[in-house]
Amino acid sequence: MAKFHPELDLLTEHAAGNLPLAQAACVSAHMNYCEQCRRTSSQLQALGSVLFGNLQGVPVGEAQLDAVLARLDDEPPLSYANARRETAGRTPAILQRLMSGDFSDLAWKKITSSLSISYLKTGDPNYEFALYHIKAGGRIPEHTHRGSEMTLVLEGGFSDADGSYHQGDFLLREPSDVHAPTAVQSEDCICLAVLDAPLKFTSWKYRWMNPFLQLRPG
Amino acid sequence: MTVVDQVEGTGGDWQQGGGRRTDEWSECLTLIAANQDRAAFTRLFRHFAPLIKAFALAGSSLSASVADELVQEVMLKVWQKAGAFNPDKAAASTWVYTIARNCRTDMFRRLQKFDTPLAEEDVFPDQESEEPFALLQGRRTRERIRELMATLPPDQVQILAKVYMEGKSHAEAAAELDLPLGTVKSRVRLAIQKLQIQIDR
Repeated sequence: MAKFHPELDLLTEHAAGNLPLAQAACVSAHMNYCEQCRRTSSQLQALGSVLFGNLQGVPVGEAQLDAVLARLDDEPPLSYANARRETAGRTPAILQRLMSGDFSDLAWKKITSSLSISYLKTGDPNYEFALYHIKAGGRIPEHTHRGSEMTLVLEGGFSDADGSYHQGDFLLREPSDVHAPTAVQSEDCICLAVLDAPLKFTSWKYRWMNPFLQLRPG
Repeated sequence: MTVVDQVEGTGGDWQQGGGRRTDEWSECLTLIAANQDRAAFTRLFRHFAPLIKAFALAGSSLSASVADELVQEVMLKVWQKAGAFNPDKAAASTWVYTIARNCRTDMFRRLQKFDTPLAEEDVFPDQESEEPFALLQGRRTRERIRELMATLPPDQVQILAKVYMEGKSHAEAAAELDLPLGTVKSRVRLAIQKLQIQIDR
């Protein structure tokens, strides 16, 4: 069960439908693993519906109703007899929609001997949405963030100076947080990372790469 | 042009009838799902369309014609998806609100010419708990929040409305109200505590 969660302000903006698409997809993927956040989120949405119900209605012309009634025949009610249910715990459906096949079918770009990155396309022009594959026991060079970074552990786990994180754990790093994540020894780690600015390696050994680390949004 | 009156609905009221939630809007949705009932749909339209239009225009981000388009889109979705509504899980108004919110977000993205494989329905999949305890809670949550909302101070309601109805981030709400971001966040947090929304970690 996930131990690290989005803060309440993030969950609220998510429930209100205000997060940028890439970040919303990451928070949504966390919920796939997290019963508590699902529950809070559904209550936060009920809160939204109360505000909605309290709105001062704006008159809608009768012609609008007629127009909708005329279109009903073209839009027959959908049948939900075999409604597909999301299976909590598996790779979140929202990620599956962005990948064809599974993790091994993706194009991975090797960054260091233990780190590969695969970029997924969400269509959000301001955020990079990428999967990080860290080999068991492998270490991502120490880096800082020029912007915010959301991380969600999908498989395996990793640790840094602040803690250790496992499947479903969600982290939000702010600019200037420095860390050097290391994957658990027992298995490879796959994380989702959502960035609004490129990483910046701090150690001298990798600093030369910084000019090449461009954000790849979209 | 005649104008649809905003019907004083009983959507917020419900009685405990054999442990089942019985409110007018849930019944309309059930009738649509069972017999494609157009009279029930018309009742729903008269109640919800003005709210959806107000929601579209909140924050004055959409034009009146786009707002009308959103009303049609949401109400068609309500018609199509009525079979997925489960009265044990959520209030009808919460269900309609989430469709309106999803459609509005999708419309914003269309207007910004996002080229995305994702629809907002993918972001909010139907994955709520099936546990009886959670169901029972889900049914009562909206009613409790509605009652407690009346006890909130206006400055907290104002910020919630900015975030939820006008679609502003906390940072945008702070800038607009000329308040520090921390103040906005703590008002939202306080409001959510008073509404007894469960945050267990």
